[in-house]
Amino acid sequence: MTRILGVLGLLVVLYTTLITSHPKAGEPDNLISVANLQGRFGIITLGAALVIIVGGIDLSIGAVVGCSAVLFGVLMNKGVHPFAAVPIVILFGATVGLTNGSLITRLKLQPFLVTLCGMFVFRGFARLLGGTLGQASVIEGHPEYKDPIRTLRHLLIGKDPIDGELIFPAQFILLIVLAGLVGFFLHRTAYGRYWYAIGHSELAAKYAGVNVSRQRVVIYVVCSALAALTGVLLFLDAPSVQSDNAGFSWELYAILGAVLGGCSLRGGEGTAVGMVLGAMVLPVLESLVNFRGDASDVIPVVIGLTLLIGAIVDELIRQRSRIHR
Amino acid sequence: MFPALRLSVVLGLALVLASLPACSKKSEKIKIGVVTNCTAEFWSLAEAGANKAAQEADVELQFRQLEKDFDASAQMPIIDSWVKQGVGGIAVSVIDPKNQTEDLTRIAKKVPLITMDNDADQTGRLCYIGIDNYEAGKAVGRLVKKSLPKGGTVAIFIGSTKSANGKARTQGVLDELAGQKDATGTAAAHPTNADLKGKQFGQFFLVDGEAKEDGSPNNAQPLAAAVLARVKGLPDVCLVGLYAYNPPAILEEARSKSMLKDVKIIGFDEAWVTLKGIADGEIVATVVQDPFMYGYKSVEALAAKAKGDDSKLVKEPIPYRVVTKDGGPDETVNGMVVKFPKVADFEAKLRADLASVKK
Repeated sequence: MTRILGVLGLLVVLYTTLITSHPKAGEPDNLISVANLQGRFGIITLGAALVIIVGGIDLSIGAVVGCSAVLFGVLMNKGVHPFAAVPIVILFGATVGLTNGSLITRLKLQPFLVTLCGMFVFRGFARLLGGTLGQASVIEGHPEYKDPIRTLRHLLIGKDPIDGELIFPAQFILLIVLAGLVGFFLHRTAYGRYWYAIGHSELAAKYAGVNVSRQRVVIYVVCSALAALTGVLLFLDAPSVQSDNAGFSWELYAILGAVLGGCSLRGGEGTAVGMVLGAMVLPVLESLVNFRGDASDVIPVVIGLTLLIGAIVDELIRQRSRIHR
Repeated sequence: MFPALRLSVVLGLALVLASLPACSKKSEKIKIGVVTNCTAEFWSLAEAGANKAAQEADVELQFRQLEKDFDASAQMPIIDSWVKQGVGGIAVSVIDPKNQTEDLTRIAKKVPLITMDNDADQTGRLCYIGIDNYEAGKAVGRLVKKSLPKGGTVAIFIGSTKSANGKARTQGVLDELAGQKDATGTAAAHPTNADLKGKQFGQFFLVDGEAKEDGSPNNAQPLAAAVLARVKGLPDVCLVGLYAYNPPAILEEARSKSMLKDVKIIGFDEAWVTLKGIADGEIVATVVQDPFMYGYKSVEALAAKAKGDDSKLVKEPIPYRVVTKDGGPDETVNGMVVKFPKVADFEAKLRADLASVKK
């Protein structure tokens, strides 16, 4: 509970500031927009947090998101039905995770190094696959995909099939479902105990009979598959995705969300609720700077300082909690 | 637990209170939003013009230079948040006209929308504020022909070939070089260096057969460096930068490789470095838009529209100009009067425009 108190407090402050910043900021349509973005960042945060819990790191998340978004568009351009393209893209993500996990566990390479290389490789793949892709350009080549794409967009993003108006936060709902699954495995099954144990002490976990390598590979597969799913969501939500920019630096957002949510970069700590709360911070902050009308030059400073203050508050709460325990 | 909770509440309140001054700056003025396609010096000039118009029209301006260059998925949330705020009007430099049309059409039904610098004409926008990019591209082509009268090797650099302005500018250059409309060129190896592949447009060999797209100001210099390395030693080389940040990137790399005397550089837009390069004789010329005026006219038109006045909506393209070291007499091209200002005069006017904006 103490672990998520800091991020909960930060969220209360940010939501209060957002709602008081402008009469329209607290209206449902804005809160739905914010929730949708939280859903998207939350899904990659779940993956990043699981990797962090087992004592690893995944720097390739953003590039996998971008590559998957571009791949999704390219597959449809090549005539793959949108409903079939979604599982193919997620399978691609899982394969990336399997590769990362295998390199880390079999060849004993550093996760930082493997996933950093992955970041370059998959950004490069995205560029090789295509430049800029969007729903309109896919539909132009395949008018028969218009309805399936609109249906997917409605179900996964929450946008009106006719004019694209956002009507419900489908991405946030998806996040809650996925976080529920992650929470179940993490807190209610032996797998969760394995993951915490690996993060705390790999050697101890190994002596306790945990197949450390297999568990780690599974986590990297889950992480990259979630990143690939996020790529699909990005393609369905954005007007277009560009191979150079799509998902760029999102691994840092995911890691930030995980850490704000109570995951320790040393491993072995973190909760599903914390992951969701941690991922909720940045989108509220982005909405806040938009509504405040801050000048472009000021925005990165505002975001950086707020996150830093949040992290300091969080740490102070933990320190005081330890003193009073 | 309770001390921690108390601390959290106290700090929370402190932060809320700290944010109040920002809230109190809220006014009842009409709010106008302007969003660009990237962060660049070009847009700082537009921002200055927008600020001037906002002061004159007494409206509140939100000017956002897009942090993620040419990323339509980053641009749309900003526009959406303005729609939710109930702004009086939005001006946007469209990144991907085809794929943004659906969203912008929805937005144009709710809020007065104009496009500037980069158009999306199927969205129901009120007007487009910008130059005729195809004609401006042709002007660049004429400068290339003048610089290399016997033909030669050309490389074109641009931020985006997907955007309407990128496409039109590039095609304008190529059509002028080829001497025909919708030129696609003929695939060929370089006449004196078979390793260099490209396309022939009339007397001009285009390196790689297409404009080199960098996707971001951050990539402009490495891309220019790579092409300069490949054309080193060839005679009659002209490098063309079609986005504001491209000519400075080309100039810097040509200087660092000691190739300034070997290549002709032709620019687009009025980056300070480009203007200095022209004054120093390192850049032949630059075709300029008028970003200060884009910003000014965007805000002026939207502020007037919000007050029920349609007369400020722009109906004709803004004329481009060709800035050279010594200037020259006006020319009439396709019925449009094109000015050839002297770089020193042009820069002085630009600085005066910027100085006229009250901080």
